[in-house]
Amino acid sequence: MSVSRDDFSIAFRSALLQRGGAQKFSVLSLIFLALIIFFLDVYGAKFTKPVRSFLNDVVYRLTFLASTPSRFLPQVSTDISNFFNVKEENERLKAEIEKYKLLELNVEFLTDENKNLQKILETEYFNKNLSNIILAKVLVDKNSPFLKSIIINKGTRAGILKGMPVTKDNYLVGRIVETNYLSSRVLLLNDLNSRIPVTLDEGAQAILSGSGTNNPILEYLPEDYEIIEEINVFASGKDGIFSSGTPIGVTNSEGQVDLFVDPNQLSFVTVNLNIQSKGKF
Amino acid sequence: MAKRSLINKIFNAGPVILLYYLCISEVDSNLEKIFEIFTLNFQIILIYFWVLKRPDIMANGHIFLAGLINDVVMGFPLGISSLSYLIIIFVGTYVRNKSVNTTIASDWFTFFMAMIFSNILFFSLLNNFSDLYFTYSKIGYNMFFTLFMFPIFWLLFNIYQITFIGGRDA
Repeated sequence: MSVSRDDFSIAFRSALLQRGGAQKFSVLSLIFLALIIFFLDVYGAKFTKPVRSFLNDVVYRLTFLASTPSRFLPQVSTDISNFFNVKEENERLKAEIEKYKLLELNVEFLTDENKNLQKILETEYFNKNLSNIILAKVLVDKNSPFLKSIIINKGTRAGILKGMPVTKDNYLVGRIVETNYLSSRVLLLNDLNSRIPVTLDEGAQAILSGSGTNNPILEYLPEDYEIIEEINVFASGKDGIFSSGTPIGVTNSEGQVDLFVDPNQLSFVTVNLNIQSKGKF
Repeated sequence: MAKRSLINKIFNAGPVILLYYLCISEVDSNLEKIFEIFTLNFQIILIYFWVLKRPDIMANGHIFLAGLINDVVMGFPLGISSLSYLIIIFVGTYVRNKSVNTTIASDWFTFFMAMIFSNILFFSLLNNFSDLYFTYSKIGYNMFFTLFMFPIFWLLFNIYQITFIGGRDA
């Protein structure tokens, strides 16, 4: 019995303290080091914030470089197929330009009408000044089962602050949750931690909650409200973070929301520098 | 001779390079995009196998550093992945010290124990010290598929070891 206990303690101690050969550090010393780093990071000691920010910037750049081969190969095959479809694409684009020229007149009329109506209603009008909207490239889009986020190549240097809304083609994508000098992390709408007040087509209010899958769900709907297919979902703007009326997605047959922008296919996004939430992230 | 030694060094460094690459690159070790519930913690399989079979080619310092990089890329609090990987090393080294002959079945069982300890620490720290929210079903799927895939990677790594690195098993 005592021999077996001795065996256990020897193996246990050896596993914790063993060094030599390739092992320059014992497991125990590294566990202590990891715990110190962890608590310094969690309790946000003053000097750890800039260190973490610098580390994030460096690692995100390295991640972008390391991921180049995995991005390059699919891009090459797309480029080759595009090359052979140039003529066809040209004709399609010409037709599309004609269509958009017609639509432009219509949009101009609707924009003016919208501005006038907002003035009449005395609601806050978010002036979409283009100088306050910046384009950012997605540096890292690593799919984690526990956190749905992307890293963009613009940070505090470009004026980005926590809470700013992020869009793609005017569709809502998420919001900034971490800022570094040269990069920022965007929490996507489908992340478990994401909660957004939304308005549905008929004016019903709800909260769009990330479910960890590609399709967020609608919570806190009015009593007896039945979700049907093809209802458009917009940001309500009640939180003061997202511009009211920013399109988000459309409901599907399962009562979830199909986002207008696929969160797994983001390469460029825009950040609205006008709005910043004072909420905690 | 010198060329051969260089090639051997490269093969020996293969698992560490793979570990760093998985932590730093965008390459996902989970296939959520294809099959929604399929998530896999490939890093811990990699670490456990090589700590058990050839600890001389998987140094603790490298694993610690890879954990820190993983935390930065994933957006977790710094040090949390390192701690979970160090628990894997600890159980792996303990099993290695206690056992003479190992089989795929014994390795599978001890890996299960290592994964349980490691994940309990990881998720309890994440739950208590960060604002991140996660569901237990996700953790369950992740653990199930990681455990389920272990024998497949065990065989692949064994083939790699026999072909490119050579004996000196536990």
